[in-house]
Amino acid sequence: MQSTLAARSTTRTVSRYAAAIGSAAIALILSLALRVPFGNPFWFFFAIAVILTTWFCGRGPGWVAVGFSTLAVLYFFVRPYHRWSVNLRDLPFFVTFVLCQVVANWLISWRRETEDFLRRARDELEVRVGERTAELKSANDALVNRMEEQKRTEEDLQVSQANLARVARITTIGELTASIAHEVNQPLAAVVANADACVAWLSRENPDLGEARAAAERAAQGAARASEVIVRIRSMIDKATPEKALVRINQIMEETAALAEGQASRNNVSVILALAPDLMAVYGDSVQLQQVILNLIMNGIEAMTSVTDRPRQLVVRTQMEGPAHIRVSVQDSGIGVKPDVMPRLFEPFFTTRSKGMGMGLAISRSIIEAHGGRLWAESNGSDGAVFQLTLPIGDGSTR
Amino acid sequence: MKEAEAIVYVIDDDRLVREGLQGLIRSVGLRVESFASAQDFLTAKRTDAPACMVLDVRMPGLSGLDLQVMLNDVDLQIPIIFITGHGDIPMSVRAMKEGAHEFLTKPVRGQDLLDAVQKAIASDRAQRKDRAELSEIRARFGSLTPREKEVLDLVVAGLLNKQIADELGTSELTVKTHRAHVMEKTHADSLAHLVRMSERLKTAVRK
Repeated sequence: MQSTLAARSTTRTVSRYAAAIGSAAIALILSLALRVPFGNPFWFFFAIAVILTTWFCGRGPGWVAVGFSTLAVLYFFVRPYHRWSVNLRDLPFFVTFVLCQVVANWLISWRRETEDFLRRARDELEVRVGERTAELKSANDALVNRMEEQKRTEEDLQVSQANLARVARITTIGELTASIAHEVNQPLAAVVANADACVAWLSRENPDLGEARAAAERAAQGAARASEVIVRIRSMIDKATPEKALVRINQIMEETAALAEGQASRNNVSVILALAPDLMAVYGDSVQLQQVILNLIMNGIEAMTSVTDRPRQLVVRTQMEGPAHIRVSVQDSGIGVKPDVMPRLFEPFFTTRSKGMGMGLAISRSIIEAHGGRLWAESNGSDGAVFQLTLPIGDGSTR
Repeated sequence: MKEAEAIVYVIDDDRLVREGLQGLIRSVGLRVESFASAQDFLTAKRTDAPACMVLDVRMPGLSGLDLQVMLNDVDLQIPIIFITGHGDIPMSVRAMKEGAHEFLTKPVRGQDLLDAVQKAIASDRAQRKDRAELSEIRARFGSLTPREKEVLDLVVAGLLNKQIADELGTSELTVKTHRAHVMEKTHADSLAHLVRMSERLKTAVRK
């Protein structure tokens, strides 16, 4: 491979030099031929040969052409003719001729090399521009990917936030229940064990009254401890009274809808907010009220997951209800509520779902009632359900 | 051999529960020793008698499950009846895998506990008897001379005296003498009895 390349380049060099000699020879023949009728030496043919050779074959062949021409002129066209010498009268002409040839060769090869250099530089530039363009494109692609990834992450984040709000609510209840159960169960175990022991001592053939009394006393102590636990829990609940302030329900609706947006879009549910602009503020605990709204919205979305024959729409509406109340309604186009289920909907631990705790609506209702309002449900047959709540407005202050 | 009186160890950190359980078990005539923690139980002196343990799962310090693992590690085999506030499944599985005898949830019904205790003690009695027999057999077999042991192995393998003599390169008469010694030292009534004892020893070793 390399040897072929080298051979090819040698061939090209040889042919270039051959062309140099050939063109100079042609100039010589033409000059000799035209000398007979015209007498004057047409040395410019040699100039043309040098210029063409230098231009097309490069500096080296150019010098060969110059050398050939000089020798030819020296031999044929300056006196004494047919001798390798020059007499004094023809010397200026000869020197001028040689100088012209040299300058022509030099100028043209210089020009030629400059052009080559420029061309190479341009080619290189094009290659570099190509490379940079490719780099930019791949960087751009990466950026697009990253943006998509970020978008997904944001969606995931929203879902997690919604889930978090839900889980936090449920675990609080769950933990509370578990700790109450444990706290009460321990003394109850003591009561049962001691009561059983007391009965056992009394049922013996010779009842041991001392042992029976001791066991009964311990049973009573256990019962007392259980009731202390209850008192403690009660005071804990009393302490956790809601932090009440003037609450703008519309703002809560917007925040909550945003929170549930991820869940809604994943289930192809469009949430429509129809909020009355002149809604009065209510006096309440904004966190608790938000929990209720979120619960109703999530329930609505979940009721529509199996709907395929109509648009999944959740309409959340706020409006004034008489002069002293506001009304919030959350209407879904889901599977609706069966008539036999309706009366039990707000019972604690009642659920129609496999994974539900059955506490959501029960807690929601108790929160709304603690705020002096009402929460109820209506079924639109099989076209969905409406959950509505009313809340009294706070101290006549608007918005 | 007269069996010692059975003991029930009650371990619960809650005084009222502990005393209630203790009273309940004592009312049916069983001896009870109670401890407020697993550590107390471990440091206490224990009598060599059939026993069972009523153990609260959740205790400060060493939990009931920890104690069970420790007892298993030192090969102290007492049937354990676990009592737990809310026994979740992984916990019960773990306890049962470690050989718990029973798993009861609080509050325990008196009769359930007493039934479990009686069953556990009966089981411990049987196990102790088993272990005693085994150590007796081990002692008897241990008193055999090396030559008698060789003869024993071949006898148990079903070889005739003549074959044994060939195998060991002695006379049939010598083998007969060794064999008589083996039967005498191991208190074997018959060849079948000897084989049974030897098998039992082997399976116990394998365990």
